[in-house]
Amino acid sequence: MTNRRAFMKSGAMALFATGLGGGLPAFVARAAQSQKYIQPYKKGKVLVCIFQRGAMDGLMAVSPYTDPAFKAARPGLYMSPAATEGKLFDLDGRFGLHPALDGLYPYFSEKRMAIVHGVGSPNNTRSHFDAQDYMESGTPFSKSTSSGWLNRAIGLMGHDATPFRAVSMTNALPRSFYGQEESLAISNLQDFAIQMRGNPMAAGLAAKSFEELYDQTSSSILNRTGKESFEAIKMLNLNSIRNYKAADGVVYPASPLGNALKQIAILVKMNVGLELAFAESGGWDTHFNQGTANGAFARNLKDFGDSIAAFWKDLGTYQDDVTLMTMTEFGRTVKQNGTGGTDHGRGSCLFVLGNDVQGGAVYNKVSSLTKEELEDGRDLPVTTDFRSVFSSVAGTHLMINNNRELFPGWDGTPLPLMKV
Amino acid sequence: MQPLRFIKVFSLGAFLTIVTAFTPAPQPSAGMFKLHLPYAKAGLTRQQAAAHLLNRFSFGATPGELDAVVSMGLENWLQQQLQASLPDEELNTRLLNGYDALAMSNAQIVNTYVRPDQALQIGVAKGLIRRDSIRVAANTAEYRMMIRNLMDSANLKPVNELHRQLINQKVLRAAYSNNQLQEVLTDFWFNHFNVSLTKNQSQQYVLTYERDAIRPNVLGHFSSLLEATAKHPAMLEYLDNASSVSNDNNVANPRLKAQLQKRLEKRADQLMEEGNAAQQARLMKQIAGQKKNEGLNENYAREIMELHTMGVDGGYTQKDVTEVARVLTGWTLYPNSEYGAGSAQRKILERVGLNTLQQRGFVVQGDFLYRADKHDQGEKNILGHVFPAGGGYEEGMRVIELLSTHPATAAFICKKLATRFVSDTPSVDLVKKMTAVFLKSKGDIKQVLIAMVEQVDFWKPALVHDKVKSPFELVISAIRSTHADVQDPFQVFNWCARMGQRFYYYQAPTGFPDNAAFWINTGSLLNRMNFGLAFATQKIPGIRMNWAQLNNNHEPESVEQALTVFSDILLPERNQEQNIKRLLPLVKDVRIGAKIAAAADNAPLQMKEETGMTEDRPMKKQERKALAKNTKQPLQMPYTAGVNSPIAQVAGIIIGSPEFQRK
Repeated sequence: MTNRRAFMKSGAMALFATGLGGGLPAFVARAAQSQKYIQPYKKGKVLVCIFQRGAMDGLMAVSPYTDPAFKAARPGLYMSPAATEGKLFDLDGRFGLHPALDGLYPYFSEKRMAIVHGVGSPNNTRSHFDAQDYMESGTPFSKSTSSGWLNRAIGLMGHDATPFRAVSMTNALPRSFYGQEESLAISNLQDFAIQMRGNPMAAGLAAKSFEELYDQTSSSILNRTGKESFEAIKMLNLNSIRNYKAADGVVYPASPLGNALKQIAILVKMNVGLELAFAESGGWDTHFNQGTANGAFARNLKDFGDSIAAFWKDLGTYQDDVTLMTMTEFGRTVKQNGTGGTDHGRGSCLFVLGNDVQGGAVYNKVSSLTKEELEDGRDLPVTTDFRSVFSSVAGTHLMINNNRELFPGWDGTPLPLMKV
Repeated sequence: MQPLRFIKVFSLGAFLTIVTAFTPAPQPSAGMFKLHLPYAKAGLTRQQAAAHLLNRFSFGATPGELDAVVSMGLENWLQQQLQASLPDEELNTRLLNGYDALAMSNAQIVNTYVRPDQALQIGVAKGLIRRDSIRVAANTAEYRMMIRNLMDSANLKPVNELHRQLINQKVLRAAYSNNQLQEVLTDFWFNHFNVSLTKNQSQQYVLTYERDAIRPNVLGHFSSLLEATAKHPAMLEYLDNASSVSNDNNVANPRLKAQLQKRLEKRADQLMEEGNAAQQARLMKQIAGQKKNEGLNENYAREIMELHTMGVDGGYTQKDVTEVARVLTGWTLYPNSEYGAGSAQRKILERVGLNTLQQRGFVVQGDFLYRADKHDQGEKNILGHVFPAGGGYEEGMRVIELLSTHPATAAFICKKLATRFVSDTPSVDLVKKMTAVFLKSKGDIKQVLIAMVEQVDFWKPALVHDKVKSPFELVISAIRSTHADVQDPFQVFNWCARMGQRFYYYQAPTGFPDNAAFWINTGSLLNRMNFGLAFATQKIPGIRMNWAQLNNNHEPESVEQALTVFSDILLPERNQEQNIKRLLPLVKDVRIGAKIAAAADNAPLQMKEETGMTEDRPMKKQERKALAKNTKQPLQMPYTAGVNSPIAQVAGIIIGSPEFQRK
């Protein structure tokens, strides 16, 4: 696997270009001509976002277990650090971490992971669609924002880069990535090639033909993107992907999330210029039979935590470059419902993991969960605007400091949870 | 809602499988316009102009269609397309046979094609399942099984099947309808007034939205489109106007209001017991909303101005948005579900009766309901026009009229049309001329299109092939140009999704952007090339073409000749000499590769990855199996003995080439 860092040390950009089969890649040339020129091979930071679709029950992932009102509202779902009641990891004498997140607990202890509780959107919609839309566009009261906040983040980073700068490990582009800046949606890196099923020789010939045809076309966009595509193929090195071995002792869960994070780790280690990565996790809409230490929610949370833990371990020395942030559209009702689950609520919690995170704390303004304190008498109120967390992470980690453009119409302040 | 009209459309005329057997040129008749197409002035030959016209006003020429258009006259062809009344019997009676939802009303659909949570609710209401029985489900798989059994016994079908029908009909119409312009415009206007299957509350209405609000109006007046979309349940739900209400309303009797509140709360408790959690949550939200005086929702009001009519720079203010929202309070959908919260409302409305409702200022039009008791009765001021206090339904109609004929709207819509039909950056002059016609004709879309093609700017050689095809346009043009037989239209959707166009699922109300930069990036471009190869080598299950038949069953004498023939078929009226010069060395390469290819022909087709790439894959397991079996049968093609034949590969390369990406 090509190692960009080695090139940086020897200052041998030309060596890299030779590795591509001669000639400077088009996007390098383009970047060089661009006014905003920053060396594309300068070691960049990577932000990995995981969207938990369906609204995760933040109160079960990270429980305010000392609150008697909470215990009373969830007779069948309540857990505490006591062995008889589910055995949460006690975080700070007030909040307890779900046992399925045992993979992540060490990072909290090492102060590398922070938790934000009572986080959500100022728009009180309880529709999955609307809430996801607002969170991903970053404008909680406007539907017509055509771009996603991560796409705006790409623009605000202000430099040209490789085709792998912003990658979503999904079939279709997520709302967060909508916009003018180029980004890539791909569920399997191995698809990034010219393919003829069962006939690799013919595929090779076809690829050669396509490369020539795109090189000759009079359409500038097709010409340029064609060049970049073939360079990107060479850059990716499918063989290394196929034969990728995670770091010693790392086992990714065989789940969509585990697989997505593994591929993100590959991109990080390949030094192909990744700066923003996006993955999804589903199954959080737990209206029925949520379970406690075991059951549907616990299984899903275990996959979530173990996938992230495997990813983090696998990164090894790359950990310094990466921050991972999770998000979900809203939380769930404080009270359990009639079918052993919880319904659509308001505030939830999220996790931020990275070496430049001031971890080991549950950032919150969560008050008692007595009925009078709840939003509409039923839900954990949103006391931290999601934008104050997103802007803080993007601001510190990716060095984006124009929050008015990142989140139009927002004039709040970032939550100081990152090391400055 | 309008099954009668629909059936009428279905019974018209005869479908033409081979387009060379074109209908004779129509005699100019009443309702037709004399057209002057200045292509010669722009420097195009008649052939070139016909090719350009077909590229922009259809989803691509079928074999022989170019010659047919030239011989019948470009003007006559365009006349026919603007009339949009060519017979489509084959499409309607054979190809769309079995798509039962296409003839259903909204109420029928809502009570037939349901989400799992709705199935549960209906099951409880019908007494098919015990209220507490879902507690028994140990895991998700068991839960799904229970829902499936329940659906079978209650004669319900999964909503995914509805989506499959919607997606498939779009593919089939685009590929095989004779009224191509109507389909192109349906695609355009749907995207302009976008709604999305990603939103639960609107997904069951998207099929009828396209059928009833969009398609019948694509060549009419813009105001009809605006009104039809404004009143359709899909839009009312998608942009939340259905739940936008005024709480300062004096029409609603406070005693009745309190009674309703009580009844809703009781119903919510009942739902909680039944385990209809999602419904209950929605109802709770409704109750909370009613209590908290948070009735006004501006989402639709903002988008009708920003996206549907005047454009973001159209000169309105936030105050105008709020005022339009106030005008549209009470615009909602007639409750059409037999079960759940909607059914309670429906019973109340039925009990009151239409006459009484009308006396109270209510309006019922099909599935549209105007609720006077939710309307903001205060004075409003929009774009300088005063709406005096005490108004009702007619205020909304006045706003639609005001917006649809506004100069900012005319300019915004004409620029969007020119962007679709002419260039990503249409000339200011062209847009100006179209805008003038829009205003003069009060938004007659047909007149605006005619104004566009009567400008030299439409025919400028520099702009011919300037537009990049969307993924959908790419796939459909490949199907049309090769006369492919689409047995499984859903495959088209899978490929389009891979190339960046998950149609009907675009989440934002903006719709897909219409420019090359949006469609073309490294990932999508590679998939376009891969599509070309997979399509031409017949590795897309359920899509078949016969290369030999395309050449009238003549075997090309040489690979070089084959190249000329297929290059002509796939890229008519392009610079063939240059194309062939570029492709010839490649063909020879492929020829060397043919031996390898022949060996690979014996390898089994790999189906797995190609059939199931999105999470909602409505094709059932049995169907997939049947299809796989079908595909493994030896392919009967005289010249192209195998799917990896040189011809197929050359065709694949042409389809994946930059020239074929342009229209």
